Amino acid sequence: MSLELVFQQALNGLSFGALLFILASGLSLVFGMMDVVNLAHGAFYMLGAYVALSVVQLTGSFWLAMLAAPLALALVGLVIEPLLLRRLRGRHLDQVLLTIGVSLVIVDVIGQLWGREVRSLSAPPGLDGSVTLIGGVYPVYRLFVIAFGIVLAAAMAVVYRRTKIGMLVRAGVQDAQMLAALGVDTNRLFASTFATGAALAGLAGVIAAPVFGVQPGMDTDPGLLYSLVVVVVGGLGTLSGAVAGSVLIGPADTFGKVLFQDVALAVIFAIVALVLLLKPTGLLGRIRVVR
Amino acid sequence: MAAGARAVIEVRELRRAFGGVVALDGVSLKISEGERRAIIGPNGAGKTTLINILAGEIPPTAGVVRLAGQDITRLRSWQRARLGLAHVYQRTELFSPLSARENVALAVGARRGPYRVFRAPPRSEYAEADAMLERVGLAGREAVLVRALSHGERRQLELAVALAQRPRVLLLDEPTAGMSPVETARITELVAGLDRALTILIVEHDMDVVFRLADRVTVLHEGRVIADGTAAEVRGDVRVHDVYLGKAVTVA
Amino acid sequence: MRPLARWTLVALAAAALVTFPYWSAPWESTRFATTLLRDGLILAIFALSLDLLVGRAGMPSLGHAAFFGAGAYAAGIAGQRLGTDQLPVTLGAAALVAALLALVIGVLVVRSEGIFFLMLTLALAQIVFAIAFQWTAVTGGSNGLSGVGRPMLATLDLSSPDLMYVLVAIAFVLSAIVVWGLARSPYGRALVGVRENERRMRALGYDTARLRLSAFVLAGTIAGIAGALSAYSTRFVSAQDAGLGNSVRAFVTVLVGGAGTLAGPIAGSALVSLIERVVPSLLPVELRISEAILGLMFIAFVLFARQGMVGLGRSAWLRVRAR
Repeated sequence: MSLELVFQQALNGLSFGALLFILASGLSLVFGMMDVVNLAHGAFYMLGAYVALSVVQLTGSFWLAMLAAPLALALVGLVIEPLLLRRLRGRHLDQVLLTIGVSLVIVDVIGQLWGREVRSLSAPPGLDGSVTLIGGVYPVYRLFVIAFGIVLAAAMAVVYRRTKIGMLVRAGVQDAQMLAALGVDTNRLFASTFATGAALAGLAGVIAAPVFGVQPGMDTDPGLLYSLVVVVVGGLGTLSGAVAGSVLIGPADTFGKVLFQDVALAVIFAIVALVLLLKPTGLLGRIRVVR
Repeated sequence: MAAGARAVIEVRELRRAFGGVVALDGVSLKISEGERRAIIGPNGAGKTTLINILAGEIPPTAGVVRLAGQDITRLRSWQRARLGLAHVYQRTELFSPLSARENVALAVGARRGPYRVFRAPPRSEYAEADAMLERVGLAGREAVLVRALSHGERRQLELAVALAQRPRVLLLDEPTAGMSPVETARITELVAGLDRALTILIVEHDMDVVFRLADRVTVLHEGRVIADGTAAEVRGDVRVHDVYLGKAVTVA
Repeated sequence: MRPLARWTLVALAAAALVTFPYWSAPWESTRFATTLLRDGLILAIFALSLDLLVGRAGMPSLGHAAFFGAGAYAAGIAGQRLGTDQLPVTLGAAALVAALLALVIGVLVVRSEGIFFLMLTLALAQIVFAIAFQWTAVTGGSNGLSGVGRPMLATLDLSSPDLMYVLVAIAFVLSAIVVWGLARSPYGRALVGVRENERRMRALGYDTARLRLSAFVLAGTIAGIAGALSAYSTRFVSAQDAGLGNSVRAFVTVLVGGAGTLAGPIAGSALVSLIERVVPSLLPVELRISEAILGLMFIAFVLFARQGMVGLGRSAWLRVRAR
C-alpha cells in the first residue's frame, strides 16, 4: 500500500468515525439517561435520511434538510416517549422491546411512503468538489464531515460540562431517581433526552446520505449495527465513550475493508470480542447493573 | 480453641477496600469444627463484608481464607458451595415465582449437578425437600409460592434451602433481622437445635440471640477485631462497651 | 385428564400433523396449506429454541438468526462442497457449524445480563450477517446461495412438497419433545433458577456461567437445524436468514405466543405465519405493511399482554373458573 493510499484511507476512516460519532452519541445519551437502548435508533437514522431526501427534492437545499430532518425526528421522539415508553417506566428491558416494535413500524412506513429502491442524495453545492491534499485528490464533503463531527463533539462537551442542562443530564446519567426526588420534572427531561437522541440520529442520517446513500436496510447496516458496536467498544452512556468508540471503529472498519475486503467485518468482530473479553464495560465505560 | 479441634475456617490478615474506604483492615480469626461463632459490632464495622468475602461473593484486597486447611481465597462462590459452604444472605434471596418445595429442591438438586436432561427430577429430591421444610417448621406450606409467604416464613425457608445443601459450614448474615419476637425465638431455637457437627458463623445485632447461640464471639469495629472470646468474656470487655456506647474514637 | 389419555391424544395429534399432506389432499390440491404449515413449523422450531433462552434461562437474545443462517448456509455449502446431498451429512454439518458459532458468540456474551446481553447478541449477530452478506465467494453475498441440493435419505428424494413437509413435521415433533423434556428436567429447573436469582444459584453450588453457555449452544444448534430445513425447503439461502429481521421475527413470535411455555412459541408461530402470509392477500397489493402490523401487534403485547397469548388464555381461564 502506497503512502498516498494509506493517507486517503486514514481520512476515510476519520470521516467514517466522525459519522459514527454523530450516530452513536444519540444512542449513548438516551441509554445514559434512561437506561434504555433505543433499538429504533437505526430506524430514526434512516428516517432522517429519507426526510432529507424529500426536503431536498422540494426545496433544493441540503442545508434546510440538515435542519428539518433533526427537527422532524425530535418531534417523532417527543411523541414516542410519552405515548409508549413512559407507560413502562422502570421496566427497562420491556422498554427496549418496545423500541423494536417502533422500529418495525417506522421502517415499513418508510418503505411504503418512499418506495424501496436505492436512492441517493448529493452533497450540497460548495461541498461537492474535491481538493488536492498530501494523499492525492480528496472529496471536500468528507473533510466537512470530519470537521462537523469535531465541532459537534466539542459543542456537546461544552453543553455537557458547562451549562445547566448539561448538569441535569450528567446528574440524570448518574441517578435519575434522585433527580425526581429533588423535584426535577423527569417526565420532561426524559422526553427531551429521547427527542435529542432521535434528532442526533436524524442528523446523522442527513450527513451520511451523500456518502452511504439512502436505501432499504440502512436502518440495520450501517445504522444499528455500527452504533451498537461503537457504544459496546467505547462504553455506554458517556460522551467520551462514544468518541473513543468512533475513533477506533471508524478507521478499523475502513482499513479492514481495504485489507480484507469481503470479510472486513471479521476485524470488527475481533475488536468487539477483544473488548468483551478484556474490559466488558467498554473502553471508557462504567459498571452499570441493568436488568 | 478447644484442644485438638481443627480450624475449619481460618482467615488471615484479611483486607478489603472499596475505593478509598477500608472496610476490613487486617482481620484474622480461626473457627474450629463444630463451633458456633458470632460476629458482632456496630454498623459499618465490616461484618457483612467479612461474610461476603468468606462466601466468595467479593474478593479480598489482601489476605488468605482457608476452609479445612485448603486455600480458597481465589475460589468463586459456587466452588466454595461445592466444598460445603452455605450462605444465608442478609436480605432474602429466594426464587420468588417458585414454591417453597421447589426452592429447597434446587438446593438438593445442586448436589447431584444440573446436567440431567431427560427425566423429571427424582421424587426423592422433593421428598428430601419436604423433610427439610418440616424440620424448619414449614410443614404444610410446601406448595406455597414464595410471594405468598410471610417475612418470617421466608427466613425459615432460607434456612431450609441452606441446610439442604448439607453444608459443613453455615454462614448466617443477620438471620433474625426484621423479625417479631416470636419469629426471632423460633429461628433461634431452630439454629440452636442444628447438628453440632455443623460449624456456624452468625452475624447478629440481637444480643439475646448471640448469647443463646454462640460459643465464642468476635467483635469487629472499623474493620478490625477488637475482642475475641467466649460470650461471657466479651460481655465484660471494656473496649466492647466503649465501642457500643460511643466512647471509642470513631472516624466518620 | 388421565396421563394415558393425554399421551394418546398427543400422539394422535402428532401423527395427524406429520401426515397432513396425505389426508388433506382431497381439498388441498395446490399445496398452499401444506407450504404454509411447513414454513410455520420451521418458525416454530426456531422459536422453541429461542424460548429456551428467552423464556427459560432469562437470556433475551436478539441475535438468534445468526445460528439459523449459519445452519442454512452450512447445509447448502456442505452439500455443494462435499458433493453429497445425504441428509445426515448436510444436517449434521448445519448442526455442527451452528453449535460452533454459538460457542464462540456464547463465550463472549454469557457473562452479561438483561439489556447488555440483548445488545451484545444483536451486535455480534449483525456482524455475522454482514460477513455473510459480503463474503460473496463462500455465501454468494447479497445474491444468496442458490442451488441448495435436494435432501436425500439414501435413495429417497425428500424434496417433493409432501416429503419435505413430512421431514419438517417430524423435526418439529422431535424438537417439541426435546424442549418439553428439558423443561421438566433438573437442567430446565436449573435454568429457571438462573433466571430468577443467579446469585443464589451460585451460592448453592451451580456453575451458572456454564449453565448459560450450554443453553446458548443448545438453542443455537436447534436454530441451525431449523435453518437447514429452511434451506432445503426453498433450495436457497439468503443473507437475510441471518439478519436482524429474522431474529426479531423469532423474538416477536416467542413473546406474542408466551415466553417460557411449550405452547407459547407454537401458538406464536401460527399467528405470525398467518399475519405474514394472509394479511398481504387481504390488503391492496400496493400496501405492503405486514411488518408494521407485526410491529404494532408486538407493541400492544409488550404494553398490555406481556405474558403473550398463553398468558391471556390463562387469565381468561382463571376468570371463567372463578365464576
